[in-house]
Amino acid sequence: MNLFYMSFLILFSGGILALVGQRNFALMKMLSVVSLATGCLSGLIASAQALWQEKVFQFSFTYLNHFELSYKIDSLSAFFLVVIFLISMIAVIYSYHYMDHSENALATSVHYFFFSLLIISMALVVTADNIITFMLSWEIMSLSSFFLVIFDYGKAENRKAGYLYFIFSHIGAMFIFAAFGVVYGYTSQFGFNGMAGLPDTVKMIVFVLAFIGFGSKAGVFPFHVWLPHAHPAAPSHISAVMSGVMIKTGIYGILRVYSLLDYHVSVLGMIVLVAGVISGILGVVYALGQHDLKRLLAYSSVENVGIILIGIGIGMIGVATGNPLMAILGFSGGLLHVLNHSIFKSLLFMGAGMVLHKTGTRAIDRLGGLLKRMRITGATFLIGSLAISGLPPFNGFVGEFFIYLGAFNGTLFGNTAFVAGVLAVVSLAVIGGLALACFTKVMGVVFQGEPRSRAAADKDETGNTMLFAMMILASFCIIIGVLPGIFIQMTLKGLSSVSMGYGRIPLEPFIQMTENITLAAVVFLMVLLVLLAMRTLAYRGKPVGRKGTWGCGFTQPTPKMQYTGSSYSASIVEFFRPVAPFQEHHPPVEGRFPEKTIYHSRIDDIAERHMTTIIVRPVMWMFDRLRWIQHGDIHLYIGYIFLAIVVLLFFV
Amino acid sequence: MMIESILFYVGAIIVAPFFSAVILKVKAFFGGKKGPPLLINYYTLIKLLKKGSVYSTSTTTIFKLGPIVSLCAVLTVLMFLPIAGVKPVFSFKGDIIFVLYLLGLGRFFTIAAAMDTASPFEGMGAAREANFPIICEASFMMILVLFYKMTGNFNLSSWFSDTQPMTLWQSAGSPLIFVVISLFIILLTENARVPVDDPATHLELTMIHEVMVLDHSGPDFAMIEFGAFMKLFFYATLIARLICPFNTGHLAVDVSVFAGAILMVYVAAGITESVMARYRMDRVSKFVMTSFALAFFATILTLEFIG
Repeated sequence: MNLFYMSFLILFSGGILALVGQRNFALMKMLSVVSLATGCLSGLIASAQALWQEKVFQFSFTYLNHFELSYKIDSLSAFFLVVIFLISMIAVIYSYHYMDHSENALATSVHYFFFSLLIISMALVVTADNIITFMLSWEIMSLSSFFLVIFDYGKAENRKAGYLYFIFSHIGAMFIFAAFGVVYGYTSQFGFNGMAGLPDTVKMIVFVLAFIGFGSKAGVFPFHVWLPHAHPAAPSHISAVMSGVMIKTGIYGILRVYSLLDYHVSVLGMIVLVAGVISGILGVVYALGQHDLKRLLAYSSVENVGIILIGIGIGMIGVATGNPLMAILGFSGGLLHVLNHSIFKSLLFMGAGMVLHKTGTRAIDRLGGLLKRMRITGATFLIGSLAISGLPPFNGFVGEFFIYLGAFNGTLFGNTAFVAGVLAVVSLAVIGGLALACFTKVMGVVFQGEPRSRAAADKDETGNTMLFAMMILASFCIIIGVLPGIFIQMTLKGLSSVSMGYGRIPLEPFIQMTENITLAAVVFLMVLLVLLAMRTLAYRGKPVGRKGTWGCGFTQPTPKMQYTGSSYSASIVEFFRPVAPFQEHHPPVEGRFPEKTIYHSRIDDIAERHMTTIIVRPVMWMFDRLRWIQHGDIHLYIGYIFLAIVVLLFFV
Repeated sequence: MMIESILFYVGAIIVAPFFSAVILKVKAFFGGKKGPPLLINYYTLIKLLKKGSVYSTSTTTIFKLGPIVSLCAVLTVLMFLPIAGVKPVFSFKGDIIFVLYLLGLGRFFTIAAAMDTASPFEGMGAAREANFPIICEASFMMILVLFYKMTGNFNLSSWFSDTQPMTLWQSAGSPLIFVVISLFIILLTENARVPVDDPATHLELTMIHEVMVLDHSGPDFAMIEFGAFMKLFFYATLIARLICPFNTGHLAVDVSVFAGAILMVYVAAGITESVMARYRMDRVSKFVMTSFALAFFATILTLEFIG
């Protein structure tokens, strides 16, 4: 427990040091990176211990004589703490060489301050044990990440992204407030404990409200609109933390509320499952259609949150239909995907950060051929791509494998479980195929082939801490993929504090499954080694030449003739046109010697498009009508306050 | 038992190229030609293995990894496949998901190797290769739901070894015919056969798989070809066991029955190839969707029987 205090103290002092020491850029950066990383490390050790020993820590104090702030670390909190501290630590290490603009010293130091606040507040969110504490931490988290999003506030686009994020996080918080407000209305206490005693209909309302609120943080369709704007705007390691970790606090919220309500009906599971299916499929379709590398990764987060929710939905339906195996498989697959996604998504964002740092562009179709000079970035990005496509022997496969087993298990029992199982299985297969298309596109267009513009030509990778961070994450992808046993145990321990009405969860059957994966992965790697050896033999003493790519008789190829990202994804996106409206714009080619022409294509996000017409315009119209209230006359404003208090007195 | 499984595994690897030549023979028959000898694929493989390679200056290590990883994936996949009803080398609960995703891994690397060459043709092929199998996977999963619901087991061995296919027919009945057709469509799509793709021409614009491997040569290309033969063998085995679900217990009889059945699958693929033209690219998705629809209906129909 002391280790926890210590880690928070170090983290906070790292933030303060950054603010104080901005005069000396190099020293400030060094100090804050070291202290933030140490803070995360001690937090990681403490939470890993807490998870492993399944001990419950509690702590509370009174704030302003009125509010009791109380914290509790049970195994579910500990699981999320591990994810938060692990990824934040690696992101901090990465940031050392990424934030190398000393002329930007003030912004950099402020960024480290808010970064430390973000890490602390995320940790507080997952440990908060009553309504007040939770909302307080939640708001700090939203605000500190808002300031990180507008780090590069000079660009209008980034400011806009920041405002959008600000609005969305507060509308989301409003829904959570509403959910907790309903709880408070019935229990008249700030503690979480009374929630299990609510009437059933109230539980339903609370869950739906909380799901919308937490879903908007997690990036569930259609509440994900802020995500593809905000994540690319932030510096890449912050994108990594936001996409990898911060949106998972939304998942935590959903799980926590579910656990506290202790209300097991299939409807709730179905809501979560269907939301997951829609986010999963649409997220990856939109990702496929993007031209901006970081936006693509942000949309892919929507997809992966979808996969996590599919797992959780399967778990909830498993509990509701009295099918423990399905429940545990679904929940643990979902939780494992939380860990996995945080690893490979931050890896990919860091790779994208390296590309952005060196080439200065995020436009996929202007890049190409980077792998030749950026070997480590390219190799780790390849591993991340394989992992996020859910392919063995990498970590993404393991989580999906468990969700698959859970979903298949469901098809054996009753109608609800059957429908849920089939829905989950088919959509997971489709998501997997689309993710493969999406990430072969990124690999193929950004890292392979020939550079499509000057920006991408002859760019080397530098920055040892950046490379180190990516290598660590890539090795985690392989370790979890080959030896998932211990990590599945982590998720099962994490699950033990989610109330499902089961006693102790037996470990053996699940460990057996992970051993199978290990066996299969080892067999695969052995065959690969044998083949590599045979290939070397087959090429011994053979002539091996190097020449240009075979152009099918055409002798003057240029890099411009390569397949672009847009053309790669066009036919797949076309298939999903009803949900992903595809627009292209190009003037017709005229004359025998046509002049230079342009081509522009984009796909629209239907959530964003409809949000503008259905919600934003009417709200704007309404407030336009109410503009007379804001007249700038201070006397009348004081009058408003007076009136409001008088009116309130009647009610209270 | 283990020895027997390994022997069958090795045997399958050896005979897979032979069966692929059957398709060529059937096509030649329809064209009124004599066609290449039945051992043509072995000759090709040996010829390729003797050669060296020319690599494009645009390529990286991924280009060389492509053939190896995709061959490795298929070789591993065959270890989970019960051949002629004999239990596979390895088997565990959910192995079929591992198998499907391993084939996905092979596809990832084939696509990545194609994108590595910077060739617009290969990019085109890669985009198509990424597109069509998406629905194939969904319909395969649908078929698995059906099998799982029939047997309560979840591995290839429990569906395709010994007399298990017979049990499937007994519990599922005629809807299993849909499954066979659906699997056959998946076979045609995944293995780049007509009407999805045309393995005979090298005309880039009409091609999917063949255009992706334009730049490979020598032993690398041999590995790609070899992998393709075995992938076809994998799907053909599944269908063969379903259309010929008998198992007598006598090894020699079983093997010859199985060989006859698998020959029928290859001949059917050859006939399809001879009498049909390739679909226009935008029609292919609809063709593949048919397999999903069939698998879906088969599952819905069997729900009735289980109750």
